[in-house]
Amino acid sequence: MRIKFFLLILLQILILAGMIGYRHYWVETGEKIMLRVSPVDPRDLFRGDYVHLAYEISSLDLDRLSVKEVFRPREKVYVILEKEPDDTWKAAGIAKSLPSGKKFIQGMVEFEKKDSSRWEITLKDDLGNLHPLSPRWWSEMHPGGRVTFCLDRRGRVTSFAKEEPSRKDPCRGGPSLTGVIADIKATPFRLLQVEYGIESFFVQEGKGRDIESGRAGQDLRAEAVLRKDGKAMLKSLWVDGKAFH
Amino acid sequence: MGKKIDRGFARKLREEIEIWEQEGMVSPILKDQILAYYKMKARLGGPAGTGKLITALSILGSVLAGVGVILFVAANWSAIPVEGKLAVIFVPMAASYALGYLLRYERGDFPRVGAGFILLGALIFGAGIFLVAQIYHLSVHFANGPLVWGLGVLPLAYLLRFKTLLTLSLIVFLIWLGMETHSWLPPEAFEPSGPVPGESKFISLYFMAGLALWGLGLMHRGYEGFRKISDPYIVLGILCTFGTGFLFTFDLYGGHFGAPVLWPFYLALSVLFLLSLFGLALSSEKPSGWVWEVVFLLVLLGLALYLTFLFSSLPGKGHRDFVLSANLIFALAVLIVLFLGYLREFPVYVNVALLFFVLDVFVRYFDFFWELFPRSLFFIIGGLILLTGGVLLERKRRKILGSFRKPEDED
Repeated sequence: MRIKFFLLILLQILILAGMIGYRHYWVETGEKIMLRVSPVDPRDLFRGDYVHLAYEISSLDLDRLSVKEVFRPREKVYVILEKEPDDTWKAAGIAKSLPSGKKFIQGMVEFEKKDSSRWEITLKDDLGNLHPLSPRWWSEMHPGGRVTFCLDRRGRVTSFAKEEPSRKDPCRGGPSLTGVIADIKATPFRLLQVEYGIESFFVQEGKGRDIESGRAGQDLRAEAVLRKDGKAMLKSLWVDGKAFH
Repeated sequence: MGKKIDRGFARKLREEIEIWEQEGMVSPILKDQILAYYKMKARLGGPAGTGKLITALSILGSVLAGVGVILFVAANWSAIPVEGKLAVIFVPMAASYALGYLLRYERGDFPRVGAGFILLGALIFGAGIFLVAQIYHLSVHFANGPLVWGLGVLPLAYLLRFKTLLTLSLIVFLIWLGMETHSWLPPEAFEPSGPVPGESKFISLYFMAGLALWGLGLMHRGYEGFRKISDPYIVLGILCTFGTGFLFTFDLYGGHFGAPVLWPFYLALSVLFLLSLFGLALSSEKPSGWVWEVVFLLVLLGLALYLTFLFSSLPGKGHRDFVLSANLIFALAVLIVLFLGYLREFPVYVNVALLFFVLDVFVRYFDFFWELFPRSLFFIIGGLILLTGGVLLERKRRKILGSFRKPEDED
């Protein structure tokens, strides 16, 4: 009885040690890549505060990637990656089988949406300049309405809000563009939502909001470690060049 | 509260009972039974009430301390290095198990507190799994976490025949089931279908999980060596089955009770359920009325499979017949379980059946009379029914349970 008892306790200790050892080995031997992200902040009951990370490679435009295949939910896919000048990686294609000779990340299809819309908004600022903008989503705002767009450092739209006197600084100090909507164009496209298992970054209790509230205009990247089969593990989050582990 | 059995009383009893036997006041069998009863009472350190209190306090203490460790993990103090966090898991886990074993089996003087420490060790093991997940930023839908936790604790529950550890294992398995199947469903599966929430797709799954646990509990009761740990299966199984079965009595027939994409889970649970019934049929000591219970459970499984795969949501007011049928079946199920509980002198069945009977009456009262009566009259009559019904049911419940003689189980 005593031996069996302590053997089972040893088994539990080995399970924990094995989980740690395996992940440690993964970090040490895997290939590290940088991915662009934008966070929101929910809460996980088991593991405290975390930042939910939506990657640029999480929502794929199948038409732009010239992918004709149809995808089922939970299907395993390999997203082929291409390096950008700023050392981050973007999606360059999708494969259903293991690609050879290319850098790729393994993911699981959440869903494919055949009638998603790609939005192109033309904003006329107060000086009369026209700005073409591409928000990832759009709400019920029509030409002629005044809107403030919040931008990241690369000039891409992170969020937008109808201009209201009661709502001051919707971009929380970050770069923004305010003006009148001159034109709205919606182009239908096939969207593929992919999950990579690296969408949660755990932070100390109460600190999630800090990252979320201070993110306006910040450069946000995640460092992931790739296994040989493309499975990724999140190593660190980089906010304006500062790493959080 | 009764008194502790002291050695003087035990010695005196042994002397006296010899005389009673010689004088024909008690039979040799009765003498042995009385001596065995007091021996067990002395070994357990006191009468039933006190023992249960110690068990309850030990479990509560373990759960509180375990929750403390889990909350520590959740707080994720960035000032503490990874090695420090891991030490907070490994050291208390090993210490809890060792201390628990020492108190319960080596020294044996604090068996219930020892059991509490072993439960604490199992809770810290679970916290450790989530700590590793947190350190390496594993996805929030980390369904493998509860699975590994349950699988790690289950062998220990069987080795020690601990109901607390088995209950913990089964609860985390049920959590795993929800987390795993949740990730199998596309986001649009959770969109409401009219007034019916998308979560109704989990009803059949947990209904079948309840049946599988119920079946496993019956099978365990059939074997002497496993009878002691049959209760967690039966209690969780029957609560899960009746809890989800109760939902069928509401007007949810505009939605879906399952999702065909989850068929591997339905199949696995159905096979597990059928295997457990097969195991029960092979066992040496089957509970009385088991054939009827098996037939009853098979009918319930058939209904669940029908509602999952063959039933499509009904338009408009076509639900009424289904709701009425579901209510009749539910009421019949309550009666069958109550009857089986009475037949076998099994308090769990009686308690659960009466609980759901009261719940059903209460909810149906709201359903049918809310619109009919003026509000004041509605609440006065409802209150009087509850008070009278409560007193009558409690008296009946005590009478039924009082007629059972069931040895106390622990851990």
